[in-house]
Amino acid sequence: MMNVGLNEYLTVAVAMFVIGFIGVLVRKNTLVIYMCLELMLVASTIAFVAFSRFNGTMDGNVFVFFILTVAAAEVAVGLAIIVALFRRRQTVQVDELNALKN
Amino acid sequence: MSTELLQQAAANNHWGAIAPELLVGCLALLLLVLEIVLPKARHEIIPSVAIVGLLGIIGGFVMNYHSGFIDQTTFNGLLRHTGTGQFMRLFFLLAATGVSVLGVVALKRQVMPKVEFFTITLVVTGAMMLLSQSNHFVMLFVALETITVGFYVLVSYTRTNPLSLEAGLKYLIMGALSSGILLFGIALLYGVAGSQALTASTTDPMNFDALRIFLYANPDNVIAAIGIVLVLSGVAFKIGAVPFQIWIPDVYQGAPTPVTAFLAIASKAAGFAILLTLVTVFDGYQSLVVTVLSVMAMATIIFGNLAALTQHNVKRLIGLSGVSHAGYLMIGVIAAIHVPFAVGAICFYLFAYMLASLAVFGVMTHLAGDDDADQDLDHYTDLAKTHPFLGTVLGVGLGSLAGIPPLAGFMGKLLVFLAAFEAGLYPLLGVAVLGVIISIYYYFGWIKAAFFPQWRPPVMEGDDPIPEPTHQPVSTAAGIVLATAALASIILGFYQGPIGQWLGLG
Repeated sequence: MMNVGLNEYLTVAVAMFVIGFIGVLVRKNTLVIYMCLELMLVASTIAFVAFSRFNGTMDGNVFVFFILTVAAAEVAVGLAIIVALFRRRQTVQVDELNALKN
Repeated sequence: MSTELLQQAAANNHWGAIAPELLVGCLALLLLVLEIVLPKARHEIIPSVAIVGLLGIIGGFVMNYHSGFIDQTTFNGLLRHTGTGQFMRLFFLLAATGVSVLGVVALKRQVMPKVEFFTITLVVTGAMMLLSQSNHFVMLFVALETITVGFYVLVSYTRTNPLSLEAGLKYLIMGALSSGILLFGIALLYGVAGSQALTASTTDPMNFDALRIFLYANPDNVIAAIGIVLVLSGVAFKIGAVPFQIWIPDVYQGAPTPVTAFLAIASKAAGFAILLTLVTVFDGYQSLVVTVLSVMAMATIIFGNLAALTQHNVKRLIGLSGVSHAGYLMIGVIAAIHVPFAVGAICFYLFAYMLASLAVFGVMTHLAGDDDADQDLDHYTDLAKTHPFLGTVLGVGLGSLAGIPPLAGFMGKLLVFLAAFEAGLYPLLGVAVLGVIISIYYYFGWIKAAFFPQWRPPVMEGDDPIPEPTHQPVSTAAGIVLATAALASIILGFYQGPIGQWLGLG
């Protein structure tokens, strides 16, 4: 039986954070970008819970609730903007959303 | 948990210490209630309620400016009340008042719900006031996210305009990305500072005081260093420092003009308020922080000024010039590590920047046509002749932003540069002076468009005549705000008296 320690949790968290970050930079569909952003938040959540468990302080666990609440608010506003934009422009591909320029 | 502990915790909550924030929040709720209670025909008074309420809160706040809570922590260490925090609170209240007045002018042209703009502005203002006093990462994160989510809505406020929505989407992605980076930095700092294997580990690792002590005791921890860089990057997004400035031109252009003003003035100031706090917290890693901030400041000044040179859209121009202002302020932040009066200099700079920006954005709001994103330098042709009042205000505002000697903007730059000189930051100072010289070119291009007659192609028969830009009549309230901003920009340049004393500039 393998013993799962702090390092394993942190490896997963860092991997998810990096995947999310790269996804935001390279993906073209707004919804996929949004999923990558959520992935970054979840990566932080894993790190918080792992640190909280292994350091014996509760702050990290409590912080997770704040993160979840903030993420929910962000998704509510974000999806509303994406839907409104889709109604106007019929697209959510970032490379087609380039009307703002000098 | 025993009841005694709970009682002790409750006794630590001094609600009086955050009375202004509570009042701002109540005012925001009052506006929503009024929208339900009042008949549709009377809805015009709601913005006035917001503005009068804000003025009342400012009055009460100024009277209790030296309240008994300064240099104390309340709410079990969540908040720390400092002189700088006190000044920033007043700053955000004033900025919100100015933005609300501009909002009334801008919303008149749009067929849009009008009450929510003021509600969200007030909520964001309250969050900014809390952010500038935060002493704990939970407080910092929640306040920062309240600001950011509020701005998502404000930037995409004119939802019938695809440009506004596009700006909102860009701000959304960039804002959420920066929040994610900041959050991971916080997670790393939390984990390291709480780790019992290290010396001086703490049971309250998110508290800034405990974290500062920990970082002093462990000056070369790699994970803590990564956490610090991530947190600084997250904050750099908010102030628009290179390389995190990519959202600025597009978002500034697409957002409704009063929101652009709010972003330029208050959002940036909130970023600097938190940066000033974090620099003291990360004092144990001074060389790392100074290196990161110095590189960013140099790149920010050079990029902001060079990119602004080629802009024709005034909203993009002022956004990119705002990037360079963020660079000058970052030099002040670096100087503040060694020179105490640099903090006062930053506050004065921000105040002068607010007055000048309010003047310029006020004029922009009055000159904007139906399409808010399309504001070209050509629209300012002969402004001084057709509308002398707006022309004068614009001239004073731009002059102050450029740092022309008798105006407040010059004094702000002078104070920040003096602080940098005293701290011995000569290379940064050289770049900053170069940046100021470049900036005069584009600011004067704008002033030239407004004040000096332009050559126009002769109108041939059969050509469509060039449409005259529409000017909105200046209402009394907007006139008062514009005149105050312009006059204060002039007066503060000659005489810093009471404000200088407040800030400890002597």
